Amino acid sequence: MLAKKRGIGFCLAMAMVFSLPSVFAGGAAEPEIEDVELPSELEVTLWSGNAPPDGVDRYRALNLVPAAEAVEQKHGISIRTNPVSDPAGWGDFSRRYNLAAEAGEAPDIVVSGHTDVGLWGAAGYIVPIADSVEEVQQMYPQFDDVIDTLWDAVTWRGQIWGVPQDVDGRPMYFNKILLSEMGWSAQEIADLPERIRTGDFTLEDMIATAADGVEQGVVEPGHGFWHRPAPGGDFVQFYRAYGGEIQDADSGQLVLETEPLREKYDFFRRIVEKDLTPRDIVGTTWDVWHDTVINHDVLFFHGGAWMWAGWLDDGLATEDELFERLGYGLIPSGIPGESGHTLYHPITYMVSSRDATGRPYQQLMIELIAHMTTTELNTRHAVESAHLAILESQLDDPDYLADQFLGDLGYFAEYAYFAPNHPQYGQFIDALFESMVDAERGELSPDEAVDEVVARLRMEIPDLIIR
Amino acid sequence: MKDSEARSGTALTQAPQFPRRLNTGPAWFWFLLPAGVITLVFFFAPVIITLVISATNMSTITGLTRWEWVGFGNYERLLSLPQTVRRFWITLRYVLFTLVFFNVGMALLIALITTHIPRQLGTFFRAVWLLPRITPVVAYVFMWQIMAAAPPHGVITSNILEPLGGPTGNLLPANAFLFIVLVNGFIGASFGMIIFTSAIESIRQDIMVASLVDGASKLQRIRYIILPQIRWPLLFVTTYQTLSLLTSYEQILVLTGGRWGTEVWALWAFNVGLDDYYGFFQYGLGAAIAAVLVIMGILFALLYMRYFRFNELLHEPRIDVL
Repeated sequence: MLAKKRGIGFCLAMAMVFSLPSVFAGGAAEPEIEDVELPSELEVTLWSGNAPPDGVDRYRALNLVPAAEAVEQKHGISIRTNPVSDPAGWGDFSRRYNLAAEAGEAPDIVVSGHTDVGLWGAAGYIVPIADSVEEVQQMYPQFDDVIDTLWDAVTWRGQIWGVPQDVDGRPMYFNKILLSEMGWSAQEIADLPERIRTGDFTLEDMIATAADGVEQGVVEPGHGFWHRPAPGGDFVQFYRAYGGEIQDADSGQLVLETEPLREKYDFFRRIVEKDLTPRDIVGTTWDVWHDTVINHDVLFFHGGAWMWAGWLDDGLATEDELFERLGYGLIPSGIPGESGHTLYHPITYMVSSRDATGRPYQQLMIELIAHMTTTELNTRHAVESAHLAILESQLDDPDYLADQFLGDLGYFAEYAYFAPNHPQYGQFIDALFESMVDAERGELSPDEAVDEVVARLRMEIPDLIIR
Repeated sequence: MKDSEARSGTALTQAPQFPRRLNTGPAWFWFLLPAGVITLVFFFAPVIITLVISATNMSTITGLTRWEWVGFGNYERLLSLPQTVRRFWITLRYVLFTLVFFNVGMALLIALITTHIPRQLGTFFRAVWLLPRITPVVAYVFMWQIMAAAPPHGVITSNILEPLGGPTGNLLPANAFLFIVLVNGFIGASFGMIIFTSAIESIRQDIMVASLVDGASKLQRIRYIILPQIRWPLLFVTTYQTLSLLTSYEQILVLTGGRWGTEVWALWAFNVGLDDYYGFFQYGLGAAIAAVLVIMGILFALLYMRYFRFNELLHEPRIDVL
């Protein structure tokens, strides 16, 4: 009898939990920038994600120091800077920032991928800094210097939510020594980036070339093509390669096109079947991956431009050795005649809202960002970390021009696109990646993998457009 | 003299009378208060909070202030997601295999072997089995990753498989399930090992020796003397480790991140609620996934308590009745 009563009590408690009206759910006002008087002394905190403090990306945070000096002089105030380079990966960094923002202890400025704009904007963690590109360009001369197209990456719901900090091209690298051993002439090797650009060399040609290398015995089986060994935005490039759209331009809704996705999965299945890629490449540790692609003769591999600086920084090779071994071009298209392309994922300065920080100095933070956005500071960061220019003036800067690798990638801008600023893009990418791995390993056929993605995303992203 | 005899007689037949309020008054309340507060704050409150969050649409977009109640919405979503059934079976297999082969099976085997060999040697082997538990998780898992890596980096592939003409790829993705059982099992076995060893060593020596004198073999002694004597520790370790394995995911997170069919239920809850490459955390759905785990845990606990008759362990000593 007692047990029965207890059972009823438990059920009642559960019913209360699940049927409570939304008495606790409050509303939050849209974050705004307030015009407040500055105190004579204040501390400014900046968090930069996925950047070890002693690594090549350290200036994303450290540029705050000279910027603060400039602002101090102008306003006659004293600023104590607290620039934090956080080595945590993007996922961990996001979690850290989210929880800090919820606790009202977010840093004043956060440096993260532009894809966080939609999510953090929706959450009220960051503030829009202008209502249009024209407005932001008029705010500070430094912002007027930003390459126009980059503002698209930080635009969400018609407003500007951040300032680009750098741009990371994603090349397809190829091993020139192996191509030479396969009988390619020096001229043919030098022409390869141009053939990729014009659509004369597609992913299909890449498979054929790598298969030829393996057949000739020049390329070790499984070393024909290596892709990233871990999740990341890069894989969307192989969906775009077959014509897949990611976002509807009018509505801003995410788009999933099943045929390009099926072709992408078919590509990833075939590279394993033809013994060009290890079946279990996903899960290889990054250390092993980098050492293999640089020192153990992989014919084609895709990665980021920033890796170039990492290889030098880690001592995997000298720059002369890299130039001798590696060539680089756009990601080839999967469709003959279609030009190659690359994904840009600008790292972005964003300003935390008053709710997220408990402080009303957002206007000052925008000014600080303007002072971090200079030719000198951005070029120093670009050259050191192998990131591309974000300012028009950098393209004429002698130090920037002196960097051969960055100069070689200059044309990437014309063939670049951005990941969408949609709050649920992470789920979209996760689902595509997981089924890609299943297709690559042969656990699902490409058709089954597509079906799985469709079934999953239909549940997870209700407004997804499926074509 | 008579008086004193009478007094001592009274003392022998009458138990001293303690004030009754010690049994029923506020004293019990104060004694139980610290434990009660700890239980409420650290055991009941998280369960209630998990259930409450699971009934909301809380996520990064809504933050902790702009969420709305969705009732059983997250549970309905859970039922219709294609991954749900797969995660359930993965979890069940993982718990079962790790429990049977390591946390109980291997633990018992080590305890039996190390108590049947010279004492110092036994202590040494048990100390070796403690190493995985005291090694930091990241370092321990990194060791496994390097062991499994493809040549020329992999320890197993380069030194054993390649010379023998065996498979040379990264062993981890192809054998991910085996690896998560091994990685967790090598850590988990030490818990049962310590408890079983101490239980075996506390068995009265006269019984142990008498059995051999009576002609029992070592195996017969294990079967008819040791195992029955350590029945309760066996049940305790089985119960505790089942619940522990149901909620453990740290090693799997570091080793595979849940890929290649290793996303157990607890890891799924973490991945959905608190881990996303682009930072979209679905606290509500994650809590619903975790709540299922909480309910499963409670059911398992009730089942074990009923089936293994834990109440018998808690009976008041019969000596008091006398």
